[in-house]
Amino acid sequence: MNDCDHELFEAELRKLTPARPPAALMARLVEARPAALDRAPETRESYQPATLSQPSTLNPQPLRWLLMRWLAPVAVAAGLAGLLLGWWPHAAHEQRHVKAVTLPPKLAPKPDEIEIDRQLVGLFDAVAQLPSGEPVRFRCREWTDEVVLRDPAHGLVIERRTPRLEVVPVSLEIF
Amino acid sequence: MDESPQHADWRRWLEDQAPKFLLFARQQARCEADAQDLVQEAVVEACRRYHDGEPPPPALVFATIRRRAIDLARSDDRRAGRELAAADPMPVSWFDTSVEDRERNQLLQDAMSRLPEMYRQVLTLKVWGGLTFAEVADTLGIPANTAASRYRYGLIELRKMTKEVLA
Repeated sequence: MNDCDHELFEAELRKLTPARPPAALMARLVEARPAALDRAPETRESYQPATLSQPSTLNPQPLRWLLMRWLAPVAVAAGLAGLLLGWWPHAAHEQRHVKAVTLPPKLAPKPDEIEIDRQLVGLFDAVAQLPSGEPVRFRCREWTDEVVLRDPAHGLVIERRTPRLEVVPVSLEIF
Repeated sequence: MDESPQHADWRRWLEDQAPKFLLFARQQARCEADAQDLVQEAVVEACRRYHDGEPPPPALVFATIRRRAIDLARSDDRRAGRELAAADPMPVSWFDTSVEDRERNQLLQDAMSRLPEMYRQVLTLKVWGGLTFAEVADTLGIPANTAASRYRYGLIELRKMTKEVLA
């Protein structure tokens, strides 16, 4: 099969269009439009494509918070160093001060190893009834999001586990 | 009642993308009901994770469908065999079928369902999902070169199976 054949065959395949979803599913999808889409774009974070090896549904908040814990002291130390260097009149004293203020970042932990994981803890379905009488099934999943930061040089391990409940309404099959 | 512009955009996006998502989900799920649930859950989850005020990129939804299908298969394993046996054997058509093409499309669908899953996934995402090889690779968690070679082998296999009905 040469390249030309390939292209012809591909073109044949592309002529086929995937079947339109049933009206009931389209109605469900239209109704399921998340409120999150109404929020202003500038208040959101950008999407980074992820693969299965890098769990992608983990809430980024805890990780960002943990990173900020290290970045904030370093930034403050650097700011202080800048101020002290600018104000100190003598070069000798400047050097002494440089030594004094550069120590904290060296001592600060460097979390080089960061592990992000999530575990499916539980799975169950619940059924409710709409005012119209139509039954709705809720597919509920309990997850545990886990972030582990390690700094082997300082023997430091920080673990954070966050439970998360995911509830998705789906139509109830009636046999 | 008039729709807001956001809802109209949402509906248009769904009309354009939902058939592709459902085609992929049907190949991942064991029954039609599960495939439809997968699409709904994946769309909602992808919207929640994508933070741009717009519907999420299709690659993200495809990846979410695949991941949720794996989760579903794991939980399904706990179901009684009797229940799985009772599940409908996907009696739906994967492609739009006009009267004259119905037989041809059915043959192609049969051939697709006999294709090894690793080829079928790549072919579906590339040909009907409209993804690039990089996006296909991201979605399936494989290198882009692997995606490209699976695509080529998949085309060859599918061509062999459908020689009489397609060019």
